[in-house]
Amino acid sequence: MIQLLFFVLIGVALLASLLLIGRRGSVRAEGDSGALLEARRALDSLQGGLLPEELVQRIFARDDLDYLSSSAAPKAVRDLFVSERKRVALSWISQVRCQISSLKRFHVGAARSYARLGMRTELKLACHFAALLVACRALRLAVYVGGPYAAPRMVGATAAAAASICTISEQSLAFLNPVQLKPFASNSLPS
Amino acid sequence: MDVEQARQDLCRRTLSDIQRPLDRLIYLASMRDYNTGVYHHDGLASRFTEEVACEALADCHREAFRELVICPLQELVSQLDAYRSSTHTSPREFLTAWGRLEPYRVAVPVQADPLSAEFLFSNFKIALAVLASQLDSRPAGLAA
Repeated sequence: MIQLLFFVLIGVALLASLLLIGRRGSVRAEGDSGALLEARRALDSLQGGLLPEELVQRIFARDDLDYLSSSAAPKAVRDLFVSERKRVALSWISQVRCQISSLKRFHVGAARSYARLGMRTELKLACHFAALLVACRALRLAVYVGGPYAAPRMVGATAAAAASICTISEQSLAFLNPVQLKPFASNSLPS
Repeated sequence: MDVEQARQDLCRRTLSDIQRPLDRLIYLASMRDYNTGVYHHDGLASRFTEEVACEALADCHREAFRELVICPLQELVSQLDAYRSSTHTSPREFLTAWGRLEPYRVAVPVQADPLSAEFLFSNFKIALAVLASQLDSRPAGLAA
């Protein structure tokens, strides 16, 4: 009876692994247009929404706190400011991390089908992804513990590393950009 | 090209009279139909087309939003106070209504980046708290 139960359990485990592998295979299949679109969206979100320098500087700018201190704002207002900035800073970090993870998934699963990046570039990219994801975690911890102004240099380094990944990813997704077609010459039409 | 011309026309004829980005944001949001998200401006549409006018208004709306997102807190506080004065509402009434209704949430462009919008809402919340604290610290006669 115990032996039977043992074999049934092994059978169930094998079936579950098979289902899991099958499911992953269908989601991350090479040539999956969903992965491409997800990567394009992540890139647009990073370049257009999260990484513009003026926005990053504004979120982590100390001069707003200095203004509140110099204008003798009550402690309640300053506390509100710090908690709001901390919330937005944490949101920024988690969104950057989320979009970078999305780009990483694209590169791991599908980039090989669409892009011809050299071995060196791929290795460089892998190192960048690993370092950036670790940096995001460290930054998140620093901001969570020390507030929005805890690690200004780390913010700059994270934004710069993310921008660098975007530049490389842009090459992989360049073929999705609209092509500038030359107008047809009148004599190119078949007669 | 048409959109750019319409944008310049809008800036020259209408928006040049609205100096502050906050006022421009609210004005341009008011030109948008809340049910469809389409902007309407009869004068601009008659000079160009409905579609071109809509695109030009949307462009200017996004621009005003961007300007406001990156403006320092001190400037936002001063713009909000100036806007309040222009509405001829009592400061207390204005701050209560804005604190409760949060009208700025419906004033952002549809395609605004979520984090930028979140950041602007957060700044509005702080700016309102700053104005409320300034009001509280004024002598009773002036506060009304």
